[in-house]
Amino acid sequence: MRSKWYPSQWRLALVAAAGFLITACGGGGSGDSGGSPPPPPPPPPPAGVTKAQAFSFLNDATFGATEAEAQRLQGLGDSTTAYARWIDEQLQQPASLQLPHVQAGYAALPQPVQIARLNADRVDIWFRNAVNGPDQLRQRVAFALSEIMVVSQQGALNNRPYALADYYDLLARGAFGNFRQLMEDVSLHPAMGVYLSMLGNQKPDPVRNIRPDENYARELMQLFTVGLVELNADGTPRKDPQGQPIPTYDQSIIEGFAHVYTGWNWSGAASFGQARPSLQNQVLPMQAYAEQHDTGAKKVLSYTGAALAEIPARTPADPARDLDDALDNIFNHPNVGPFISKQLIQRLVTSNPSPAYVQRVAQVFGNDGTGRRGNLGAVVRALLLDPEARGAAPDASTAGKLKEPLLRVTQLWRAYSGRSQSGRYNVQSPAEVAGQGPLLAASVFNFFSPFYAPPGEIAERGLVAPETQIATEYLSTQLTNYLFVQTFCYTSSPVTGCPTVRAAIRPDLVFIDVSAEAGLAGDSAELVDRIAGKLLGGQITSTLQAQARAAVERAPPDQTGLRVAEALYLIASSPEYAAQR
Amino acid sequence: MTRKERAKRRQLLKIAAAGSVAYAFGRLPDAVYAQALSTYARFADYKALVCVFLFGGNDSWNMVVPRSDAEYQAYQLARQNLAVSQASLLPVTPLTPLPNGAQLGLHPSMPEIAALFEQDGACAVVANIGPLITSTTLAQYQARSVPLPPQLFSHNDQQDQWHSLRGKAVSNTGWAGRIADALGAQTGPALPLNVSLSGQTLYQAGASTRPYVIGPDGPVDFFGLDGSDALSVARKGGFESVLRANYGTIYERAFSGVQQRALQSAQTVNAALATVRAPNPTPFATVFPASPLGTQLKTVAEMIAARGTLEASRQIFFVATGGFDSHDDQVQDQPGLLANVSACLNAFYRATVEMGVAQSVTAFTQSDFGRTLTSNGDGTDHAWGGVQLAVGGAVRGHDIYGSYPVLRLGATQAADGADDVGGGRFIPTTSSDQYAATLSRWFGVPDADLARVAPSIDNFPKRDLGFMG
Repeated sequence: MRSKWYPSQWRLALVAAAGFLITACGGGGSGDSGGSPPPPPPPPPPAGVTKAQAFSFLNDATFGATEAEAQRLQGLGDSTTAYARWIDEQLQQPASLQLPHVQAGYAALPQPVQIARLNADRVDIWFRNAVNGPDQLRQRVAFALSEIMVVSQQGALNNRPYALADYYDLLARGAFGNFRQLMEDVSLHPAMGVYLSMLGNQKPDPVRNIRPDENYARELMQLFTVGLVELNADGTPRKDPQGQPIPTYDQSIIEGFAHVYTGWNWSGAASFGQARPSLQNQVLPMQAYAEQHDTGAKKVLSYTGAALAEIPARTPADPARDLDDALDNIFNHPNVGPFISKQLIQRLVTSNPSPAYVQRVAQVFGNDGTGRRGNLGAVVRALLLDPEARGAAPDASTAGKLKEPLLRVTQLWRAYSGRSQSGRYNVQSPAEVAGQGPLLAASVFNFFSPFYAPPGEIAERGLVAPETQIATEYLSTQLTNYLFVQTFCYTSSPVTGCPTVRAAIRPDLVFIDVSAEAGLAGDSAELVDRIAGKLLGGQITSTLQAQARAAVERAPPDQTGLRVAEALYLIASSPEYAAQR
Repeated sequence: MTRKERAKRRQLLKIAAAGSVAYAFGRLPDAVYAQALSTYARFADYKALVCVFLFGGNDSWNMVVPRSDAEYQAYQLARQNLAVSQASLLPVTPLTPLPNGAQLGLHPSMPEIAALFEQDGACAVVANIGPLITSTTLAQYQARSVPLPPQLFSHNDQQDQWHSLRGKAVSNTGWAGRIADALGAQTGPALPLNVSLSGQTLYQAGASTRPYVIGPDGPVDFFGLDGSDALSVARKGGFESVLRANYGTIYERAFSGVQQRALQSAQTVNAALATVRAPNPTPFATVFPASPLGTQLKTVAEMIAARGTLEASRQIFFVATGGFDSHDDQVQDQPGLLANVSACLNAFYRATVEMGVAQSVTAFTQSDFGRTLTSNGDGTDHAWGGVQLAVGGAVRGHDIYGSYPVLRLGATQAADGADDVGGGRFIPTTSSDQYAATLSRWFGVPDADLARVAPSIDNFPKRDLGFMG
């Protein structure tokens, strides 16, 4: 289906006949007639995975498809088995971690120690894991979770790089675990405690007009679990008889949960008031200090099947049990499945999943087949294997998404062995160039909103394109310029005239390996096909192909680096590479 | 074009030809519309609005604070350890006396704002303002018997309310975007009316117009595409051809659109900025704070200095700074945040005075919401009504607009001038629609179009709060 936009570029020689049928099947019904959506495609005969399909899948499931990984995927079986086998392999991969790398950087810090400098090591290890980590799917899901359950270096956590690294590791470890456990681990992690001020939240003190902090109570529900309005099983908002959405909770319920989240602080102190941060306890769960925990009854979410109408008053104070009850109450709310499933689909596969797709995945969230609710590994498997993700989208014009800017970079580096001499990814201020960076959001609302619709046809059609919120004229130019520098100067065949790089920073610069392209520089068609094979899975529009060839041919024949750079830049900065299809 | 659109188009041309303000109705195709409007929708004078958004919800009850004894005591009782000390407040004396002789002061970290208010008369305080759909009493709030803005106390929803003023209606447009829709797709050939220095915002999205987003220092040029040598020219041609191709998905089309707009505007704007930045790095004697907000406002001032080159007659700029969500460590963090706002707004105003355009440029604050009077121990939580500031030569300064309530827990409209819905969360007594309408009228939006910009405006007694000259 997606390939219907590139009819002239179907490389039939690479496409097994049956595989071509699959593609045509999904696309046939969504053709130019503009009629009603097609019926679900009939079960296809087992067919090989095409290179284009492998790229599409790997761009959903990793930090960038590569030809090598596409070939490996193709070798795992036919289209009914290969994807599932690849996923099952990945589900077994242990997490590549950040904390050990960040801790190892401590010894190298100059005196006096400025701990915030370790944030550069944190960004470095994020790129190392994203570009080269064997646990690609786990890292990709962890990144998605880091954009839902957001904490950020910007603010009080700037001086807690260990906590940030450990929080990311928590997400990577929990990426395929149970969502109820993830909720608890996130709630008790001191990075989240600091970021949304549950850490140090004290019980009410009426004499001083002090009431519990509502920050975590609000955002855990609004952003991490249930959302603002009641949802149908397919993720669409429920409506009241007047056609208005129905709020999931009101202020009194936020206040109820705010009372639950009292009494927690840095671990290891004799009392709440004496709790202080250290390098050790910033990677340990927060500790409950009963003397600052509220003992009264607490309002919780009310819904059909809720186990508790409220959390009862408990004396002596029992912060851990109150927290368990509260998290159970939220976890079992019917919104959680569609809310989390839809956001994970949006981060991994498409901005505009059909309600039916959301519902299929949400059902797996509700029951993974063994009766368990909240199995994230099963949810990820379901959303990647869904027919709508694998080529049968009802509307080809809304299938896929805009790639996150960081993924445009990591895919390029993965395809072209982007590495520095030192092995380090010394990416300075990624958010200033890409509009995003690992744990670098400006607020708990992430770099972009799942509801963002840019003015124009997307807003007019009632669709969304979250990533376009950071594809501003400014940021888009910044990243395009980065790609210019990467493809013209920081390659194995740099063009002449690039600025001289200071020797001190050269070992940390990421270079890409274009030696295969340099060998083809004399033949513009071969050269462009080679790049399109690596970056686009071989699918390139006729316009881009023609313009890339012309760009090569404009450069003098003896300037190998320039001929490669012209084509690589044009393709890497193109709309079709920017889209995840 | 439908019959209705043709009729609107005729109306547009008729009004424009009469020398009045052009109207941009409906959804005319972008190109037609931009062409029609760039020809006709020109003002003879220049005006700029500068929205300074304080992300996170500024605790503005600590920005403008009761100073007289009785009112201060109520405030101090409610705020406890978060109260600003009475002796430290910078006295401000509005021309319109407050009830019962109450007096106000500014947070001690805002001496520049105090001077702008007292000496220059260029700063107005608008109090107990926030999103409302209609005037609302405590009883109505509790009974939900009047429509209320959805998701009160939630950051993004209340930011959206300030931006969109759309109440319960779904909105993909903001009030600055609708001003652009109403006044014309463009006020000059070079760039859209709305320019953001702080990312995309609903505030500036129009139905038929879109904002242009630049960086804190201005736009950036595309490397390798702006040279005049043959290779650069050819490379740019190829790059543009790729962007102009027909793409199958909405995502590719959105991306190619933004790249095309960036490519069209960057060189024009940077060339214009270069004329005012040379030979000195900046045209102003005024020194702007080096903070991100200061940098953004300095660039706005430079864009205004370059308005002639850019052929701009009306501009709305969006700048922003964050960190105001003071759940934690408020006593430590708030002075620096407010000091930055004060120094930046002052520098910006002084720069407009230097340029001789102080009368034509108005800066004003918006923020998610006011915050609770009560403390959570070391900070405050999300509330509703609060205080905003407007600064500029055309501002009827040295005065307070709306009404500043007695900051008492359990305050009532009858006794204190506003209702507390609990915890010291005040129902606004002035709506953000009124604020937007006041600024829009000054900016040149005709009365007939005000309800388009501020849809709930006629639910309130006054369309114009009076703080603009």
